[in-house]
This record gives sequence, C-alpha cells and structure tokens, in this order.
Amino acid sequence: MPDYGRTMVAHRLVRNLLGGAAVLAALLLVVFGLPAINRAVPTDRSLAGRLYEVGAGVSVQPPPGARVDASKTRPGDERAAVLFLVGDVRYAIVVQPFGGQIAEAADKLRTKIKATQGYQVTGDEGAVDTVSGLAGLSGGYTAPGRCGRYAVFLADGRSIEVTVSGAQLELQRELAGIDDSISSIRYGGVR
Amino acid sequence: MTVAGRSGGRRWRFSVRPTPRAARALKSLQLPAFWLLGLIMLAGVLRLLEILRADLARFPVATTSAVLLFALYAVPFWLFIASMDFLEREPPLLMATAFAWGGAVATTAAIPGTQAAHDLIAKLISPAFAATWGSAIAGPTIEELLKALGVVMIVLVARKQINSVLDGMVYGALIGLGYQVVEDIVFAVNAVALRGQGDGVGPVVATFFLRGFLAGLWSHTLFTALAGAGIAWFVVRTDKPMWWRLGGLCLGLGLAWLTHFVWNSPLFADGLGSGAAGVLLGMLGKGLPALAMVLALLWVARHREAHYYVAQLARLHDPKIATPGELQIMGHGHLRADARRYGKARCGRAGERAVRGLQTAQARFAVELSRVDHIAPGDALLVHCRDEVLAQRQRLADLGHPEAVVSPMRPAVPRVVVLGALFAVVLFLLIWQAIRTMNAA
Repeated sequence: MPDYGRTMVAHRLVRNLLGGAAVLAALLLVVFGLPAINRAVPTDRSLAGRLYEVGAGVSVQPPPGARVDASKTRPGDERAAVLFLVGDVRYAIVVQPFGGQIAEAADKLRTKIKATQGYQVTGDEGAVDTVSGLAGLSGGYTAPGRCGRYAVFLADGRSIEVTVSGAQLELQRELAGIDDSISSIRYGGVR
Repeated sequence: MTVAGRSGGRRWRFSVRPTPRAARALKSLQLPAFWLLGLIMLAGVLRLLEILRADLARFPVATTSAVLLFALYAVPFWLFIASMDFLEREPPLLMATAFAWGGAVATTAAIPGTQAAHDLIAKLISPAFAATWGSAIAGPTIEELLKALGVVMIVLVARKQINSVLDGMVYGALIGLGYQVVEDIVFAVNAVALRGQGDGVGPVVATFFLRGFLAGLWSHTLFTALAGAGIAWFVVRTDKPMWWRLGGLCLGLGLAWLTHFVWNSPLFADGLGSGAAGVLLGMLGKGLPALAMVLALLWVARHREAHYYVAQLARLHDPKIATPGELQIMGHGHLRADARRYGKARCGRAGERAVRGLQTAQARFAVELSRVDHIAPGDALLVHCRDEVLAQRQRLADLGHPEAVVSPMRPAVPRVVVLGALFAVVLFLLIWQAIRTMNAA
C-alpha cells in the first residue's frame, strides 16, 4: 500500500476512534456525570410559612428544623409527594388516589416498605388520628442500621402515606416533633 | 448491457449514496468504534438483565407477560419499518443492533440520567415546576440524545450502509422501537408494584393499552425516526454546503426533541373539553401532527430513493429487465402489492410468487447497478443479477403472465387508501373505547 493510502487509513481509524470515544463520553456524562452534578447541588430548600402544602389537597406543619429535599418532592393536583429531612431523619408524605379501605391502604404501604431489601415491618398496627380529624393506622419497621415508623390516612378517595426513617438515636431525638407534624396533617387545609 | 452510470436521474442523483461494492461487513471489525459499540452493548445488556431479573424475582407472572406482550407488539412495527426500504434492504444484523441499542443501552442509561435531570430542575427552579414540566424537559433532552447516539454509532461502524435519508429513518425508528418496548415493559412492572396487590397481569394489560395503544403510534419510534433522518441527511448529502448539512442535522434532532416535548408536556394533559371525546381530541392534537410529519417525510424519502433505483433499470432500456409498466410501479409499495395480486388473480399462487420473485430480482439488480461506476461486460455479479431477472421473467412468461403490472381493472381509489382509511377508523374507535372504559373505571 502506498504511503498516501496508509496515511488515509490511519486518519480514518483515528477519526473513527474519536467518534466512538465521543459517543462513549456522552453516554458516561449522562450515566455518571449528571447524577454526580445532581448530588453536588444542595437538595434542601428553606421552608416558608407555618403550613406546607404537599399537594393534592394535603398540607402539613413541618417539624422544627426540617428542610425539603427538592429532588424528591413532587407537588401535584392528583398525586403529590414531599420529603422532609430532619437532620439525618427522612420524613416522607405521599398522596395518591386510592379507592379501598384503610386496612387495604395500610397493607399496600407495608408491602411497599417490605419490597425494599432488608426492611421488615415490626409489631402490631395501632389507630392514629390527626388534629383535623383524619383517622388512620400506624406501625413500625426496621432496616439494617435504621428503624422507622409509618402511618396511613384516607381522605376523599386518596391515601396519605407517611414514612419516617433514621438511625435509632437520631430518630428518638426527632420523633416528638415529627409526631406533632404527623398530627398536623390535614386535607383541604391551605387551598 | 453497455449503459453505465451511477447517477440515477438528475433530480435524485444525490439522494442516494450507494454502498460501494468493496464494502464488507467484516471490515467493521477493524474499526475502533465497533469494539467500543460491543463494550457499550455488553454493559447495557447486563444492566437490563439485572433490572429484569429483579422484576422477575418480585413479579414473575407480570414480568413474563409484559415481556411476551410487548415482544409481540413489536413485531408489526418491526415488519413495517423493515418494509420501508424494499429496494435497498438494510442488513438484518445492523437492524438488530439498532433495536438492541434502543432497548438495552438507551433505556438503561436514561434511568439515572433522566432522574438526575429531573431532580436538577426541581432543585434549580422549583419542585412545582419540575412536577409540571420536568418530564417534558428532562425526558426529551436525555432520551433523544441517547437514542441519537445510537444512530451515530451505526454510522461509525457501518457508514457505507447509510445510503439515504430513508436509511437513517429506518435505523432511528428501530432504536426508538427498542426503547419503546423495553420502557413499556418496565412501566408495566412498575404499575404492578404501585398497585401493591401482588403479582398479576391486570396492570400489565392496562399499561399495554395505555402505552401501546393510546400512545404507541406517536412514541419513541416516531421521534427517533426524525433524529435518524437528520443524521442521515448530514452523512449522505455531502454535495450540499456544510451549513446546509448542519441545518438538516439540527432540524432532525430539533424536531425529535420538539415532538417528544409536546407529547410529554402538561398542555392538554386532561384533553380538550370534557369526557372521552375531550381526552381523545387532546391526544390526537398532540400526536397526529408528529405522525403526519413523519409519514410525509417518509413518503418523500422513499420516493426519492425509489426514483434513484428505478432510474438505474430505466437507463438500460431493456424491456426484458423491466418494462415501462413495471418501472412505473417499482417505486410504489402499494402498486407492487397490486401487481402481485393481479398475478395471483391470473395465475394463482404461482403467479403471485413469480411476480414477487421478479420484483425482488429487479430491486437487487438495480442496487447492484448503482454500486458500479461503469458496467464491465464480464462483471460476474451484474451478469448473475441480470440472469436472475431474466429467469424470473421466463417463469412469469411460462405462466402466461409476461409482465408484472397492475390490473387494468384496478379500482379508481387505490386499495392502500381504502385500507389506510379503514385502519385509521378502527384504531380511532378502539382508542375511543379504551378511553371510555378508563373513564368509566
């Protein structure tokens, strides 16, 4: 092969390698780069006002010192979710349409909790009420290195699922404020 | 056989860049991009299997039924896409690679990417904005990029196989189809998990109707076909100035993003007006313009390519190879089908098979003619292709049906129009019924 031909082939291979590497780089940027940037951007947003509107007609008074994880918060008219961070304790409220009874709603939430590897529901469920009169069920669960509480309420064809999890000591410290917050959950509050 | 010429008519001569005869599939093995593609595909397939294995462990019945249902769903789409390019068919292995990129690479890469983009919108703007517009912005931006990268990879490993805008649409559509099928399977299993009532096929069937039926016609297959057209335009139209090629590339990618954005956007999410009619109108308003745009582009791309190849045979001026009547119908799929039906009507199944045989041989001969600059009298491959056409012609003549043309009694309204209209009406009614059923539920 003449030198000119060899050079052309070499150039073609280099261009091909650069093109493939560019595709790979773009893929890596999406798979690892974006999540890394996402982790680097602070998640919390300060809370304003006494009542926080979760969405779908539900509002709550956040516990003292709580911040909102904006990336896990989805307000909406039909479905809504919020994740409060109280220190290292995660306090989540999820509202979604539900047509069944309170026992079925609790069963669904337990199934969801147990679907996470290592999570186990512990003890019996008990009745729980909010200040605004919502009646529900609550219980506890454990996970490796963490423990948690859950509660579920029904309001106007919607289920309001509450889960709280954190390290044993940290959770104990924050639980009183979080319990007050759970009691403050109301439907049709600040609309 | 003395007439030469690669050009296929003045208007169409740049629409197609024929695959050079020297091009061989094994040559791709020498390309670094080929090995990178192999590595990326391996990683994507392993990740996809990991996801499916976890789903199978939790919901074996639902996952298996979702995989089977959506695999069957992909078949008519695949057949339609493959038939788009009758004259110069794409290599099956490359088509499978495109499908696998969409199904295994783009989907698995999109999961962390789209989630991160959505979260960033929530953090940098607001959770409320992300809840409303997050899917419309993050979805198209990440997913269309990942799928378009698949078309770029196909270009890198098999540049010579991208001969026309139509080829780009074929590979783009297959990548979109792979993405659509795997995404629908994942959504179906998620619906089962969300219902929280154990393993069951109910949510799978509901997802099939929702995503397969109601949203299936204007989904990823269609979006990525637009991106593929833009990339192929850039690659093929080297006769145009660079800014013109870049303009076509940006237009294709931009339209893919825009159609995806419109479909994901919250605008008319609850339809136009109330009830099932409102929902149907809203859905058609968002989806139909995109579908019409892709079909129009497909029509233009197919006819440009067809004209190019038909011109290859026309320049031979040999009625034994192709009569004027056959040349007239060669570029139109519905006319070729009518010719096969006419053959069947006159000579039974053997007549239909013989017409199909002649059409296939003519297409192959046209493609081979386009691949040489000058026709040498002793060119073995061309002689073989010509002999195959003549043999098929003889087969037809023996049946007493020497010319593969349409019936002179062909109805004034083409059958394809009638069938198309009928299909649209049936689809419309099915969608309408599905929406009414969901509203009632």
